[in-house]
Amino acid sequence: MTIDWPEKFARKGHELFLSGLPIALHCHHYNMNLQKTLETSLGSEGVLLLYTAAEESSHAGFTSFLEHHPKIVTAKSKLELASTSYQYCGLGIINFTKIGPEGGIVTSPHSHHVTGWLAKFGKRQNVGCFFTGGWVAGVLAAIYNKHIGYFSVDELECKMSLSKECVFEVKIA
Amino acid sequence: MAIDTDKIVHAVMHGSRIREEKGIIPLFGVYLSMISVQYYNGISFGFEKATGNDGFAENLLVEAGQECGYATFQGVRSSWEWEEVVKPMIEDIEDQIHCFVSIAIAFGWGDLTVQELVPGKKLVIRATDLYEAKGYLDVYGKADSGKCYMVRGVTGALMDLVYGDDYPEGCFQYTAVETSCVAKGDPYCEFIAQRTTS
Repeated sequence: MTIDWPEKFARKGHELFLSGLPIALHCHHYNMNLQKTLETSLGSEGVLLLYTAAEESSHAGFTSFLEHHPKIVTAKSKLELASTSYQYCGLGIINFTKIGPEGGIVTSPHSHHVTGWLAKFGKRQNVGCFFTGGWVAGVLAAIYNKHIGYFSVDELECKMSLSKECVFEVKIA
Repeated sequence: MAIDTDKIVHAVMHGSRIREEKGIIPLFGVYLSMISVQYYNGISFGFEKATGNDGFAENLLVEAGQECGYATFQGVRSSWEWEEVVKPMIEDIEDQIHCFVSIAIAFGWGDLTVQELVPGKKLVIRATDLYEAKGYLDVYGKADSGKCYMVRGVTGALMDLVYGDDYPEGCFQYTAVETSCVAKGDPYCEFIAQRTTS
């Protein structure tokens, strides 16, 4: 089943919706500033906050999306849908080819957060795609009909620290 | 010529449907993303709760909004889209503020209107439906202080860009306060930016 993403992106007056869920357009300046503010002031607690906020919002969003598209039933189709939604939202490219209900590996050769961070702050010494990690955890929990927190996602390699691509390891928490 | 908000909104809606091969949305000189407002509210209010509501998170979030607004709208007004779509509508320097507000509306930040603009001195922006205020009310109930940190910071940034020193030296030369907020039970959110006093 093919999703017509532009058709799902709608404006009602001053509000924006993607498949019925309220969204906002923000640029890399804001997204990276928020991340840096939380990391700098709260350290690991700030990182967890970024991850958790992404996990909760992607779980809610993708669960709702799947409820509105009952014809999308196989895990493979849902994973493909997740990948295209990530791309449509301007978040980048994400590959779920090595993932299953027990976890696995997710890779991302390009992302909004990597491009934005490198443009704004330059190379990092450590991994930094906390949004994407949380987003993956939430989406996978929705796809496999699990609760928030079921999967844990660790970033093993990150383009923000100049690795070839971002690599995320997904495990059952 | 009056500022045609609909034309600006249309340009943003059209442009934000275009992705380059890396899945990135380059538009108006910045990289855009479409993210659930639940995420942004989760971060902002989670940060505030984690630090004890003592104003620490509030100050940093307003600062992040102001620095973002300053860099974002500088990128916007340096873009080819601005040159092509927006600049023909601009007759005087004050029009820039109205165009920036139209772009903020196009980005889905809320129903912002310029209530008052005293050149170089004061900007008053109002809105009745901002995702920060609405998000706070939905999750935490009535607030005892303004909760629209991003828009508050951006209000200061618009004055910085138009009346402050040349970019990038002018950030934080204006400071905004939120004088009323829907999250507090007020009928609208109101932001007033004036010259920063030391």
